[in-house]
Parts: sequence; C-alpha cells; structure tokens
Amino acid sequence: MSASTHAASPPPRKPRLVCPAGSLRALTLAIDAGADAVYMGLKDATNARNFAGLNFDLAQARDGIAYARSRGREVLMALNTFADARAPGRWFTAVDAAAGLGIDALICADTAVLAHARDHHPQLRLHLSVQASATTQEAIEFYRERYGIRRAVLPRVLTLSQVEQVCRHSTVEIEVFGFGSLCVMVEGRCALSSYATGQSPNTAGVCSPPSAVRWEDGAGGVSARLNGVLIDRYAPDEPRGYPTLCKGRFDVDGTRDYALEEPTSLNTLSLLPQLMDMGIAAIKIEGRQRSPAYVEQVTRVWRAAIDDCAAQPSRFAVQPEWTAALGRWAEGQQHTLGAYDRPWR
Amino acid sequence: MTTARPASLSASLPALPPPPAALRRLIARLPVHPPSLLLAAALNRTLRPRLPDDAAAALAGHTVEIEVRDFGVRLRLALRDGRFHSAPDHGPVTLRIAADAASYLRLLRGNDDADRLFFERALVMEGDTEYGLLLKNTLDAIGPLLHWPAPPR
Amino acid sequence: MNTRIALTVGPVLYYWPRRTLLDFYAEVAESPADTVVLGEVVCSRRHEMKADDWLSLGRELAACGKEVVLASQALLESAADLRAMHRWADQPAFLVEAGDASALRALAGRPFVLGPHINVYSEPALREHAALGAIRWVAPVELGLDALALINPPAAPVAGGPGADTPIATEVFAFGRLPLAFSARCFTARHFHLNKDDCGFRCIEHPDGLLLDTTEGQPFLALNGIQTQSAAQHCLIADAPALRAAGVRRARLSPTAQHFGTVTALFDSVYNSGADALAAAAELDALSLPGGLVNGYAHRRPGLERMPA
Repeated sequence: MSASTHAASPPPRKPRLVCPAGSLRALTLAIDAGADAVYMGLKDATNARNFAGLNFDLAQARDGIAYARSRGREVLMALNTFADARAPGRWFTAVDAAAGLGIDALICADTAVLAHARDHHPQLRLHLSVQASATTQEAIEFYRERYGIRRAVLPRVLTLSQVEQVCRHSTVEIEVFGFGSLCVMVEGRCALSSYATGQSPNTAGVCSPPSAVRWEDGAGGVSARLNGVLIDRYAPDEPRGYPTLCKGRFDVDGTRDYALEEPTSLNTLSLLPQLMDMGIAAIKIEGRQRSPAYVEQVTRVWRAAIDDCAAQPSRFAVQPEWTAALGRWAEGQQHTLGAYDRPWR
Repeated sequence: MTTARPASLSASLPALPPPPAALRRLIARLPVHPPSLLLAAALNRTLRPRLPDDAAAALAGHTVEIEVRDFGVRLRLALRDGRFHSAPDHGPVTLRIAADAASYLRLLRGNDDADRLFFERALVMEGDTEYGLLLKNTLDAIGPLLHWPAPPR
Repeated sequence: MNTRIALTVGPVLYYWPRRTLLDFYAEVAESPADTVVLGEVVCSRRHEMKADDWLSLGRELAACGKEVVLASQALLESAADLRAMHRWADQPAFLVEAGDASALRALAGRPFVLGPHINVYSEPALREHAALGAIRWVAPVELGLDALALINPPAAPVAGGPGADTPIATEVFAFGRLPLAFSARCFTARHFHLNKDDCGFRCIEHPDGLLLDTTEGQPFLALNGIQTQSAAQHCLIADAPALRAAGVRRARLSPTAQHFGTVTALFDSVYNSGADALAAAAELDALSLPGGLVNGYAHRRPGLERMPA
C-alpha cells in the first residue's frame, strides 16, 4: 500500500454537515438551520430517491444553488443510480445539466457516469456515492485513480475501527452517515426489491416502490404487501412501518421475527469526537424523502453538536434535548449506532 | 393502481382537548357536504395558487377522504378542472387519510412530518400508496399552509 | 448447429464440510462443465478450505481438463479480506473473478472475469471495465436478457483484454438460488442469537441456506450467513434460444447440496445436445428446493415470477 507516499492534505478540523433536500423548501430550511452543504437530485431515475412529487427541476435547482451560494454554502447533486442499458444518455444529459448549473459536486456510483463527467467536465468535483459500495481504501483508490474522485461516502456496514482504517489510508476525503434510516444491506448491491417487484433500486432509484405496496385489513390485523408478498402484519395496536422488504417480519424455522433488520435508525451523535479525531471530512444526514420539518430540526441538532464538539472535543457530551429531538424523527423510534458499533459482533 | 379497504385506527399522539360532547355530536350529525365545501374553498384560496402545474395534473381526477377522528368529521375532496371541489359522500375514494385535529394542525403549520405520524399510527393513509406519497411530497414541497413564511430569495 | 453455451460451475456459496466439498468437486471433474469457479466468496470466517487447498484443488481440476477461475470475496471489510483478495490477484496460474472494486484495481492490466456483484448496467459501463482487461462478464442477476444484448451486443461484442482485442463473453446466472444481497450482519448467526464473531459456524448445518417464509408460509428467501438469497431456484433451462439471441456464451450453474450432477447433465443436454427443454424443466421441478423454479429476471419481470420460455 502506497497511501503514505501521497497522503491527503490535513483534513478540516470540523466535519462538514451534509443535509438532504427533497424540495427547494427543504433546501432553504436546511441551510437556514446550519447545513454546510445540501444534497439533492433531479426529478427522474438518475438519483436513488426517485419518488413522485420529490426532487428538483432545473429551475428549482438553479434557485436552490443561488440561495446556498448567497450564504456561502454548497449544493451537491446525487446522480447515484446506474445508467439504464436502454437509455444511458439520460444520465449523461443529467451530468451535463449539473455542470451547467454550476453544482459544487456530483455524487456518483456508476463508472459510466463517472467517466462521462471526467471526460466532458474535468472541472466538476466528483464524490463517490455510497451506492458504489466502496468498503476498502483500495476500492476508493480505484475510483480516485481512474475517475479523480475527491471524496468517498462510506457504506454503513463498516465498524468504527474499519472506518478509522479506511480514513487513515485514504487519499481522498471521507464522508460517513450520521443519522437516518438504515439500510442493513450493502447499498448498491441489493436486489431484494427487484426480486419482489421487478424494479431495481440501482437503475430506477426506488426501493420497495409505493406502486407495489398494498395495505389490507383482515382478521389477523393489517397486512402490508409488496407486489403480493406479505412483508408484515400488524396487530391493531402495533406501530406500523413502510413495508421496506428488509424490515419485514418473516418465519425462519418456526420463529416469526424481524429476520433481517428491525425498523431502527442510525444515530452516530455519540461517536462525534472519535469521528472528528479520525479526520472525517463530512457527515451526511439521510432522508431526502422526509419532510422539510424533519430536515430542519435534524440539521439544527447536528449543527449544534458539531459546533460543540469542535469547540471542546474532550468535554463533548450528547445533550438530552438532542437525543429527544432526534428520537422524535427516527423510524422505529430507536437509536442504534448501526453498523459502526455492531452490537451483533 | 392499488386499492385497500379501511384499516383499523387508533390515536397515540397527545391530542387537543376533546371538543365538548354536545359540539361533537352536532358536528358528527352534519352531512359531509358543507364542511367539504368550506375546505375546498379554503384550499382554492391557499393551496391552489401554490400548486405546480405538473403536480395539479397528477393529483387531478381522484377523490380523497379526510377524516378528523376526534371531531367525527369526514370530508371528501377532488381536484377537477383546476379547482378543488367537494366530492360525493358515497362511492370509491383513491385515498383515505385519518388523524386527529392536532396532527393535522401540526402538519399544516409545517411542525411535523407525515412519515413520523405514520410510524406512530397517529396518521393513517389507506388506498393508493403512490398517490398518497405524491400528495405528501407535493404538500411538503409547498410548505406550511398556515403561517406561510416569506418565500426564499 | 448452435454455438455451444459453455457451462460454468459457480462458486459454492454455502459452508460445506471439507469432505463434502472435495466429493462435490470430484463429481464436477467428471461432469460436462467447462469451467469451475473456486474460492470462498461470502464469509471470510469460513475456514474448511485454506487458500492453498483451493489452489491445489484448482490444479487437480485443471488436470482433468476444466478451466479454473478463482473468485474474490464480494464484500471486503478487513485488512485480512484484502490480503486474501491479493493472494488470488498475485497468483499466475488461474484467471480471477473480481468481486469488488478493490479487486478491479488489483487485476487491472491482466485478463480477468467481472463477477456478478460488479455493477455493470450499460454498455458504456462495460467499456469502462473492458479497458481494465476484463475478458468475461457475469451479468448482475437482476438484469433482463434484453439488457444483456444492449450492454454486450451479440453482433459487436465489447472488446476487452489487456490488448483490447478480446471480445467479452457474456455469462448469465442460469441455475440456483439467486444471490440477492450482502450485509455486514450475519443473518444465520442472528437467527441463532449468536454474535457474528462467535457464530459457532452454524451455517455449516444449512447446506442450501436457511429458509425464510412469509407469515403466510410462502417460501421467499434463504439466509446464507451475510448473504441473502432467493428461496426459489432461478432456472433458465428452457430459455436457451433467448440466451443465444442475447449473445450469451456461458451459463453459470450455482452449486446445490443435492442433485447437482443431474442439473449439470440436464443443462448440457438441453443447451448443447438438443434435448427437450420442457421435459428437462419438469425433471428439475421435481428436484427443486422449497420455493420452486423461477426465471422472471431474464424476462424483465420480478425475479420471483416464473414465465413461459
């Protein structure tokens, strides 16, 4: 490994707070609440949150960039699905549009998309999306050498010590997830949703698509189905979840349980001092599909926490009101450290 | 298009104080129509001007039923010919939404998130899930219908 | 006469005892399979076979006339995982199948195989990987045959190899429980309430994975350590004309604990000797694991569906 021979410049002391925006309104609220950068996508399958009514057209993107820039913040565009074999040109057009808008960075996973950006817009800053599933420093190095990526977003599967290991050897900035819904599967390499519905999150940008969801009331309670497959059944007084396939209850060997993942959320607030110590460049909040109210309030908490931690890292403590505020917005109302801690280890 | 029959409901958010029993009985006896007409008129004034054309086109032609559980009120609306209208009491609906008045108020003020209320079963959506998400995302993007803040720029 | 569709025996995705594995490969050596992919691709904790064991097994299979490919792990997490990948990349004897981008970097400049977990979804993406030296492409399992024909056009295959002069051969996952997802979490250990690092290697008790049913009793998925598979077995035995039309040159058969010799023989007879596909499909139906046979993905449908060929 040759990382030490071309080590990155010293990382910024304070990780940048990168917040989600599913709409112009969410973008402005995130920036007003203290986001350093906002990430957004266009209204089509080129991004991994392709839901009806969500995302930006070009005029809204222009307004959002102007709003951010006038306040000294950044807008990143997620172009992080894989170009569909039938119409790869749409992805390349989206890259061209992003470059034309003067976006601060493009978040990509597909080598075809990265190559187009590298060849046609050499000035455009590229971030490697979590959808590229780069879990090692050598995988990240592959994308840096070939496509010139400047930052990599790490998959949520790594433990804290593995994140540290990657950080130490990485020649690009590292971004990690701080808060939000949790994919238990390695992102970008999960075909569960397409197995049940025929739509691949990798190319269509939607997991467990709403058009395939059906709710049924019956004697055993309310059933949630995905293209007919029973994902979960809720007793009348049980909290419900969106029927994301990996968060359903199934029978294994006569035991009915959340066989893959319980509906919980990731929250790494308490790890902030360690993450800053490692030189993490940016912390990402998940949730472009959530409301502007979620974006605003989660951003506010993380802004305060990062500022606190940067001011006095040794005395950092998670404030109870932060925990309470984040708890309100978490899916499943639970906080776990997710894979960064791996309680199942 | 997906369809579903009504699912069972129960509230879990701290609600507004319940309306006095007499008022509640009175409201519940009213036909669906007059409150629906009032709501349609209010939405034509507050929401319609802010609704983007593509969203209006996608939402049009479907009936949505809105139940305010603690008031015992059901309203039915449809967007037709570019305007909100009260819809007939009977017949199929594309989407049914049920919540307490407090939850609706929080959503209208932009203080809460439909996903969160849904996880807690304080808000129930039944019927066409895709249409429900489109409606939710469209309203989120528009922002609070009460206390509209100065638009950005 | 139709061109031969070569048969590849995919890596054993499950944790089998060493004796079982060696017996399995002794049978494979006698089978009509052209290529055998060796190595542990799912979980680095599995230790019945060491790297040297795989290499000597590879030499034996090569001596029996089989082409041998070593596959690298799909999800690399630790320094030890990276070392294991480099062990394959550094040996000169056999072709290597890349499981992730770390392997792509290590293999660049040499002929190699793109494994099914490398995300190639368009022709420009295949060109990017061809430029690294890839000579064979195992398509992601969720892609339809129509997409395969667009990504690596039968009339003008993408040129790969270190000299950019080798037409890339398309290989399709044609039989077996579909590898659908990977996680850092071990679902088998989770089911037994064990920690991943102290798992007791319980997956060795489930030679075809641990079945997961819906609450209605529909066989749906199979848990295989950190990998999630379909319960149903993907089966393209009746789709040979469509495979040929899509430019598919190779079919991957994923090992099962029972009847794998029959499976290989049936595919060879249908694909390459003109035997009746429907009769063979009926025979495979009778031997199938819970969940039955499906082929939806090949027809751009949900993977769990079964379409007429």
